[in-house]
Formats: sequence, structure tokens, C-alpha cells
Amino acid sequence: MHHLSLYFHFVKLRIRSQMEYRLSFLFELFAQASISVMDFFMIALLFNRFKQLAGWSLWEVGFLYGIVGICFAVAEMVGRGFDVFQRNVVRGGFDTMLVRPLGTFYQVFAHEFLLRRVGRIAQAVVVLLIANSQLTIPWSFAKVGYLFVTLMSGTCFFIGLFVIGATSCFWTVQSIEIINIFTNGGVFMGSYPFSIYRWWFRHFFTFIIPLACVNYFPSLFLLGKVGSSGVSPIGVQLAPFAGFLFLGITMLFWRWGVLRYQSTGH
Amino acid sequence: MRFLYQASQVYLAFARKSFQKQMQYRVANLAGLITNFFFLLVYVFVYTAFYAVYTGPQPLNLDEVITYFVLCQSFFMLMPFWGARSEITSAIKDGSVALQLTKPVDFQTYWFTDEFGKACYYLLMRGLPTFLISIFFFKVAIPQQPTVLIAFAVSMVLSILMSAAITITIFSSAFWTLDTTGISGISYSIIFLFSGMLVPIALWPEWLAHIARWLPFEGLIDVPFSIYLGKITGINIWIAISKQMAWNLFFVGLGRFLLNRGFSRLVIQGG
Repeated sequence: MHHLSLYFHFVKLRIRSQMEYRLSFLFELFAQASISVMDFFMIALLFNRFKQLAGWSLWEVGFLYGIVGICFAVAEMVGRGFDVFQRNVVRGGFDTMLVRPLGTFYQVFAHEFLLRRVGRIAQAVVVLLIANSQLTIPWSFAKVGYLFVTLMSGTCFFIGLFVIGATSCFWTVQSIEIINIFTNGGVFMGSYPFSIYRWWFRHFFTFIIPLACVNYFPSLFLLGKVGSSGVSPIGVQLAPFAGFLFLGITMLFWRWGVLRYQSTGH
Repeated sequence: MRFLYQASQVYLAFARKSFQKQMQYRVANLAGLITNFFFLLVYVFVYTAFYAVYTGPQPLNLDEVITYFVLCQSFFMLMPFWGARSEITSAIKDGSVALQLTKPVDFQTYWFTDEFGKACYYLLMRGLPTFLISIFFFKVAIPQQPTVLIAFAVSMVLSILMSAAITITIFSSAFWTLDTTGISGISYSIIFLFSGMLVPIALWPEWLAHIARWLPFEGLIDVPFSIYLGKITGINIWIAISKQMAWNLFFVGLGRFLLNRGFSRLVIQGG
């Protein structure tokens, strides 16, 4: 309980400091939304010309896009501390965290909060809502719950990626930018149905980096496409838990990394 | 003449320094190379799937689209999309701009040479490898006529120059806002769309393509690559290149204007 109230206190401080550059903040809020609007606009342009993609309509793809967009943007907002963790290692700032009477994972997590990602979240929510209004999904209580768990789990998945990136700083000091392939690249490739990718690509992003579990499998289930996709129905039911598992594993990795931390001095 | 020679030596030294600075980040460059490839691969998967079901004729065939995206990824780092190029902003934000202003060099030209050094670096270390490796994996069209290659080279140089001019213009807005992530984000999304980075303009609906033709940003990506693919020919090449030149002049002028206005209201931050 104490942790939670402390967390909100940190968040309040972060928001206040971001509001210092108010004009810039508004600009970026708008920029965030406009970048993602362009993103989706381009997908719409392609559908305007080609009509369909591997049996998926524009708004079915919009549904995919909305889910992955929300998960990533929320993860960026709350998991920002891990995203920018490398500067703590470079400047030796992590040393101060080690002497404080709180867990390191918690401290890094509570260290940053990027309010401006609200712009991007809003855009993804709007796409998801429009997609939903264009499709006739037979919503039930269970399906709404399923979607909610999916969104939570997908967010955990992306936070997990940030944690991997941050943990690798213990060895490399500079962050390994390769993780961008999975974060930004993940959103990009997750915006399209997985069936268009080659088998090795698909399998890698299902079993090693479970990106397919973030939005593709859940969308198959919610849009009633499981039968035609050749994916096992049990796998689809379990998919929304992959993100939680992934974050759990990355937390263990983090712990292990902290033990190997060597300060850069200061 | 002698003065000109000396000045060019100074600016060349700046360009060389900027090139060397980039050379420090070898691992980052390798990571970037892999990232370029990853995105290229996804683009190829997506377009292959789109073309697989659509049998009607298209303004560009699949191989041409793939070549287009190979070029996009090869030249990606030379384009003004790259938010990390914010040295101008940080110079204004932390006050080190004051130091730069004491140097007897032209501020805009200085940043141009800085961008030039980077451009050379990314051309050699990012563009060339991406392109060469792609040739092995994808069916990349290579123009046979030397005139097409020359026209492409000229158009590409103009594209890179305009990219630098746009970058400087965007970041000089730091004089007003200090933090340019917002404004560069908005410009980024507009430039990304209207340059044809995500979808070649030839595949756009007529009304939108028409808007793009009136904007400068097609000169960054779509114009040089269309010349490369042989989609712009004859007299149209001259028209396209003249348009690029005109927009170049516009952005250099706009950047100059903004910088001059900025200096007159500059407050040095920090100490």
C-alpha cells in the first residue's frame, strides 16, 4: 500500500515537471497523435487500392492496430523508466538507487512517467472503437473480460521488452538499440495479420518474442476467425497470458543483471 | 578567391569532424543496419501479401515496389525523419549556442556542413551496405541507362540537401519553444506521409497524390526513386529537378529567416 501511494506521488512529480514546458507539451501531445494517425491513414490507403489483405478487411486490421497501439503506448507511458534507463547507468545514477531502501525494479519503474503518450493512446482507442463499430462483434461479458486481460498482458509484454533493454545496459552501458526492432518494429509488424509472414518469422514472434499473443491471437478469437486461421483454439485462449509470463521472465533477468552491475564510477 | 578557399577549408573541417563523430558509434550503426533490414523485410511481406490477392494492373509492380522500399531503407538516415538529430536544440537549451555564435562562421552554413558530414557517413556506412545486401535477398532493379543514373544522382543530392535544410529549419524553432520534440514530431509525420515513405505516391488515390505534387516533400523520396525506377522520363525529369531546386531555395531561405529572427530574441540558457 505504501508502495502504491509513493508511486502516485512520483507520478505527480513527473507530470508537474513535464508541464514546465507547456507549449512544447501540447505540441508533443498533438504530434504523438498525428504520427499515429498518419500510420493508420497509410494502412487505409493501401486497403483503398488493394481492398483486402490475406482475407482481412480494413477494419479487422484496424482492430489489430488498435490493440497493439494501446498496449505499446500505455507501456511507453508507465515503463518509461526502463526505456531511458541507460542514462542512469552511464552517469552512475543507479548507485544511488542501490542504497535506497526500496527494490530496484520498483524504483526504476516509478522513476519516469510520460504523460504525453496520452495522445497516442487516444488515437489507438479511437481506431479500436471505430473498428468495433464497423464490425459486428458479438460482445459478451466473457469477451470484454478477455479483451481487458489482453490489453493488460500486451502492455506487460512491451514493458518486458523495455526491461530487457534496460537490463542489457548492465553489460553494455549504452542501451542496445536492437530492442527497437521489437518495440517500434513490433507495433509496425503487429499492425498486420501474422498469416502474411513467413513461417520462421511467425514462429520467432510467437514462441521467442510472443508478439503474436499481444493482438493477433486475441483478435482471431474476438473476430471469430480462429476456425479459418489454423491456429489451435486452446492456444488462442491461453494467448493473453503470454505477456504476463514474459514480463515475469524479464523481471528475473533484471534481478540477475543487478547482481552483475558494476558502477561506471562517480 | 583566397578568402573563399580559406572559408571552404574551415567548413570542410567541420564536415570532417561531424563525420568522425559518427564513426564513434559503430555498434549503434550495426544495430541500425539490422533495424533497417527488419523494417524492409516487413514491408516486403506486407506488399507481397497485398499483391498476392489483387490481380488487376497497378502503376507499380511488386518488384518495383520492393526496389522502392530497398531505396527507402538505404536512404532512411539521410532523411529529416530522424528526431535524434537535435544538436541544435540542445545547443540552444543548454546555452552552448553562445559559444558557437562567437565563432567567425555563418551559423546556418555551419549546421549545413555538420549535416553534410553526417550524410556522407550514412551514405557510406548505412546506405551502401543496406543496398548491397538487399541485392542478394530481393529482386532489386538496377537502371541500365547511364542518363537515368545521372538524373537519379542529381535528384538524390537535391533531396539530401533539402533534408538538411528542413532539419535546420525545424530545429531552429527551439528559439521559441526550447524543446522541439513536439514540433519535430508533427513535421515528421507530415513529411513521412507526403514524401512517400510508407506508400509510394503512385499507389495513392488521385486526389491525395495531387496534394502531394504541390508539396515539397515528394522531392525527398518519391521523386528520386521514381526517376530511378524509370517512372519519370524525358522532359519530366527536368521539371521534377527544377521543382526540387526551387524548394531547396525556399527552405534555405526560410531557415535563414527563422535563425535571424531567433538570434534577435535569443536568451542564453544555463551558464
